[in-house]
Order: sequence, then structure tokens, then C-alpha cells
Amino acid sequence: MTKAYINGTGCISPQNSIDSEWFFDTIHPAKGDYFDAIEPSYKEFIAPNLLRRMGRAIKMGVAAGNIAIQQADAKKVDAIITGTGLGCFEDSERFLLALLNNEEQFLTPTSFIQSTHNTVGSQIALLMKCHDYNFTYVHRGFSFESAIQDALMLFEEGKETILVGGIEEHTPNFVILNRRARKFQEVSSTTPIWESTTPGIQMSEGTACFILNKTKTDKSLASVDGIQTLYKPKTSADILNKLHSFLKLHNLTLADIDVTLMGFSGDVNFDSKLQELLPSIEKESIAACYKNVCGEYHTASAFAMWTATKIIEKQKLPQVLAISDKTPSKIKHVLIFNQYLGINYSFTLLSQC
Amino acid sequence: MSQRVYITGLGMISAIGNNVSESFLSLSQSKTGIGKINHLTTRYKDEFLAGEIKLSNADLADLVKDNNPALNRNSYIAMLAAKEAVINSGIDTNDGLRTGVISSTTVAGMGKTELYYKELFEKYDHLDVLDTHDCGDSTERIADYLGNVDYVTTISTACSSAANAIMLGCRMIKHGQLDRVVVGGVDALSKFTFNGFNTLMILDREWCKPFDENRKGLNLGEAAAFLVIEGENALNLRKGKALAEVVGYANANDAYHQTASSPEGYGATLAITEALAMSGLVPSQIDYINMHGTGTPNNDLSESMATKAVFGNQVPKFSSTKAFTGHTLAAAASIEAVISVLSLQNSMIFPNLNFTTPIADMNLIPETQLVNTPLNTILSNSFGFGGNCSSLIFKKA
Repeated sequence: MTKAYINGTGCISPQNSIDSEWFFDTIHPAKGDYFDAIEPSYKEFIAPNLLRRMGRAIKMGVAAGNIAIQQADAKKVDAIITGTGLGCFEDSERFLLALLNNEEQFLTPTSFIQSTHNTVGSQIALLMKCHDYNFTYVHRGFSFESAIQDALMLFEEGKETILVGGIEEHTPNFVILNRRARKFQEVSSTTPIWESTTPGIQMSEGTACFILNKTKTDKSLASVDGIQTLYKPKTSADILNKLHSFLKLHNLTLADIDVTLMGFSGDVNFDSKLQELLPSIEKESIAACYKNVCGEYHTASAFAMWTATKIIEKQKLPQVLAISDKTPSKIKHVLIFNQYLGINYSFTLLSQC
Repeated sequence: MSQRVYITGLGMISAIGNNVSESFLSLSQSKTGIGKINHLTTRYKDEFLAGEIKLSNADLADLVKDNNPALNRNSYIAMLAAKEAVINSGIDTNDGLRTGVISSTTVAGMGKTELYYKELFEKYDHLDVLDTHDCGDSTERIADYLGNVDYVTTISTACSSAANAIMLGCRMIKHGQLDRVVVGGVDALSKFTFNGFNTLMILDREWCKPFDENRKGLNLGEAAAFLVIEGENALNLRKGKALAEVVGYANANDAYHQTASSPEGYGATLAITEALAMSGLVPSQIDYINMHGTGTPNNDLSESMATKAVFGNQVPKFSSTKAFTGHTLAAAASIEAVISVLSLQNSMIFPNLNFTTPIADMNLIPETQLVNTPLNTILSNSFGFGGNCSSLIFKKA
């Protein structure tokens, strides 16, 4: 499979990732049992008349997309592919509550129009006047992965530049309901995220967009060499076997992976297979995590890809992410090993270019 | 990249039948499934018509043979249609080949969420709707129902969703990532979508009249439709039988407006032109077009313009089958793909019901009666909110 080159990134997360200079130096802790994204002032990116009507997911997607485009200096894109687990949840909820509260009367269409999952991708297309390929993936912990997978196929089919984004927003009500359903737990001050013995995540949100290019240019920050998703693998041994064959496809072994970013979520039920695999990973590679700083959401792997790109660019693994005691001497290959709800697993390989 | 992709199994459930053979009977008898609303709870049930599946959730649970309370209407109908397609194709998901499920939906679990949302803040009884609200839920239910599925993903591009699921399935086979894929879409009716379309004022209070000068809007429907598509290598290996071949597909964006199509049908023209280019066919080689034809003033005019832009004065025979099923949103393109394959197999064009007067200046007249004629190639269009335009071309196998 053709590799792709990351020429630009834009990331809105619970950390200061919107600032291009930020590299895990100051860290914002979770708000107890959840994270909110730190949003930029959108006026720089979006005209005020448009801004007023847009939901947060749309604003985050358009802004992060813009930053990535500027960094890559991309004049046009040949495809726009977004991944989002819940889509424009704020608008969906607004329309739902209006119809329930008013018994289906006195409704206006704006929030319904913006509630469709493909709104972010289509708004970016509208703003860029992009008539090309436009796709939105909405499959839980595979939403962003499917988008990347699609982009890699499109490069083989001849596309040159593609905007890919992972977008997620939550609302105060959604946080309240998930807390009632006992899906969260407060961050532990004593147990690291990869050693959790209790159920519960820190729910979060965020957006990371990337400009991918088929050919390497002087803007290229790293390459995406391949991606694979695993649906409901039965045992951790199955996952390890698949990981070895995935790496073999790229003529690599685990020993070649300088940093493995693992998707520990802090919920012992979801993390159990990763906990079982941690010793095998640490034996040959250097293990690290990311959901301790970005929290858990459907497209947290987009934050992980942004993190991996930065790690390759800076040639440094931030201390706050490290699980292993070892320090990498060089960082040529980074593997993202994500999991979502212990059901959706994925491997994404990034390399220095 | 040269492997050909064939359709080898069909499954559908909609207002015109609970399976493919019932649907074929309705289509060949020009019998619409659109009528009075019986199952959806809405204050407008006596004011509007809809294309409802004629089964209650309890009936559906019996058919699926699963009483898991977490299952919702979207999952029930998706599981039924996907299973029918797999049985029809004769594939065995345990034979070691790589099988994928690529589904699509817009409403997802909203039909159940809207019933309980307010009480979730006070009671603890229905918090499980949080786990089944999202689009991925019904896809994973299908995968688990079929068993031994290696790959799952879900697409949501409004009313073109299932066309994109079919397209992605074909591409993954051509790229050698999967051997066969169960592709399609599902959308059960919900108060949410019903009221959404009502606020946009694009619902007709009577039967929809696609391509008619006096069309007033669409009738909503609910459906699930899935197709099994296989690469020629996998098909030859098991000596299976192809029902049709997917020879062209394209995805373009109108980039004109969030909900409206451009008056000249720019995105639609692009999608049709690119799908034709891929198939290697010239416009005159298309025997029939299954139009998107929702019955809204905007869509049908825009699609007419695109059709004329591509086909000039030699527009092939065409019809919209939405007056049978209603507009089934994410499922529409897979419903129409199944109908297209039935057309190819039976040499039949199913009529555009309720049409009397052509759109002024367009001079486009759909087939209004059942036509028996040999068909070799069919173009099927699907367009959606967000400017998503997708076209597919099927060829007789």
C-alpha cells in the first residue's frame, strides 16, 4: 500500500495543542471525571455570519482543518474525509429537546440541518468550493481509522492531496447522562492510567485534522505507512499475532518500533487486553500512552496521530506520556495501538521521512 | 486493481415487503407501500403519509429470533436484510475468506433515544440507549448476527449513504483488502427525522409525485437493504453465481448549499459523468436510470438538469421508485440497488407512480407503467444533504 505524507496538522484538544509551539510542557488535568476541549477564538478562521449558526463540532472541524491547510500551504484538496462517532451531537440534542418540549410544534430547521453527521465535511467543502470526493465515517472507535484507510486507497487511485479529520464534541447533558450510567471515574492521583483496576473513563472531545500528500515535499513532517483495524479480537494473543503480521507487511518487527502509543483509557474492563500485552510491547519497544492527557472519545486516535507526528518531528517522547522507563535514542517509527471499549482495536504506523 | 466486483446476494425490508420476493411482487403489481402512519408515534400521524414497514418491533424481534432489549428498530431491520442477502448469495462466512460489513445510517438509534431521552435524567431504566444511539451500533449487530466478520465500518453521508457503502465495498475488494462485503444502509422512521423534514417544508401530504410539475415534496419511508458483493476471485473459488456486476461508481460534492442542490445540478452531473467514465460506457449505452427522484421541487429539477447535461436529447428510459417505498434516506441507494438488480434479472422497468404532468421546459417523461424490455446496464443516482452526490452503474452478469 502507498504511504502518505503528513504535510500539515491542526489539533483542538483538552490541551494547548492549538498552539503550534506547545509540546506537552503544560498539562491541563481532567475536570474530575471528564475533559473539555480548549477552543480557540474562531474569528480568525470563520466569518462572523457563519460562526453564529455553527455548532461546536463544525467550528472545531473548520478551524483545525484551516490550520492544517495553512501549515501544509495546500492550495486545494482532492478529497475531504471526516470521521466522527457522534457527529454534531449538540445540534441533534437541541432539535430533539425542542421537539420533545414543544410536542413537535414551533420547530425551526437550523439545528436539524446541522445535525447530520456529514455536516463538518460538507461545510469544509462549501467553504473551499471543493467538488471532489467527500466521505464521512461514523463507526465508533473506527471512525478516524476508516478515514485514514480510505485516504491511503485514494492515493493509489491517483489523488494527490487529502484533508482527513477526526471530530468529536460532547454536551453538558451528554456528560451528565454518561455519568448517571456510571461510565466515568475520577482521575486517580495514585494509579497510572495503564494500571487501572477500576471501571470508568474520562470522557472527552477534540478534533485533529491532517493534510496528507501522496508525494513527499519539504513540508512533510512524517509518513503514514499503514493502518489496520481489528473488530472484537478474542484474545490478547490474537492481537499480538495480528500486530506481528501488520509490522511484517512493512518489513518491520516490534523491535523497530521506537515508541508504541497505547490507547489505555483507564477503564480496566476495556484496557484488560492492553494490560496483558504491555510486557510484550515493553520488551521490544518503548510504551507510552495518550488518553491521560486527551481523555477518551471515539476519535481519540486522531489526537494520537497528531501526537505521533509531533514526537517524530521533535524526536522526543514527552515524559507525561511515558510508560516505560527507557528513553528512545532515536525515533524513526511510531506505532499507535488504540482500543475503544475493548471492541475496536487499531494499529497505525507512522515513520520519520 | 483489476479485479471485477459482482453482486451475488440481495436482501431488503421496506414498506413494499419484508423480503426481496415480496418487494418484487409489489413492484411488478405497481403496488405502493406508502400509506397511513401506524407504528410511528407522532402528532402528525393523520396528516401525513409514510412508507412504514408493516411490522411492529415485537414482530421484528420474533423474525430476528432475538429478544435482547438493547436491540432497536434500526438494528432489527438491518439484521434481517443483511441475513437475507447472505443466505441469498450462498457465501459461508466461516470459510476463511475475508468478509466485511459496510453499513450506513443517518438516524441510527434516535428512534429509541427520543422515546426515553427526557426520563434518562430522572430514572435509571433506559440508560442503555446511550450505548445504542450511535451509527456504529446497528453495523456491529449485523456483524455479530452473521458471525466471523473481519472488518466493519459505517458511513453517514445523508441520503447518499448506502451508495457510498457500496462504492467503498467495491474499492476494498479491488485493493485486495477484503474478499467480499455485505454493503448497504438502514434507516427506521423516527419523530426526529419526520419533524426535521417537516420543518424544511419538503414533505408532501399526499402521495409523492417524482418528476411531476405539481410535485410538492417527499414521503418519508423506512427500510434496510443489503447486497453481498464479491471479487471475481472469491466468486470463482466457490463457483458462485453473479446476479450483476458493479461497473461504475463515483462520489462528488455539489458544494452549493447545506441542504439544497444547485439549480444546474453541478455535483450530480459530475457524479454521473465520472461513473460513466469508470464504466467505459458512453451515455447511449445506459438502458435505464433509477433516479434519486425524491419528489421535492428542488431535487427533481436539479436532477433533471444534470440528466439533460449528461444525456442531452437522448435521455434513457427512467423512473424514480420512491413513490413505492418512500424516501428511505441512508437506505435509499441500497434499496434502489436491489431494485436495479431485480430490473436487470427480470427485464422490467418499474414505474414512476403518480406522474401526470412533465416539469415545464424539461420535456422529461418517466416510465409510468411497468415496461418489459431487455436491460443490460442501469445507472442509479443518490444525492444528499451536504452536497453529497453519488452514482452507481450496474451491468447484467
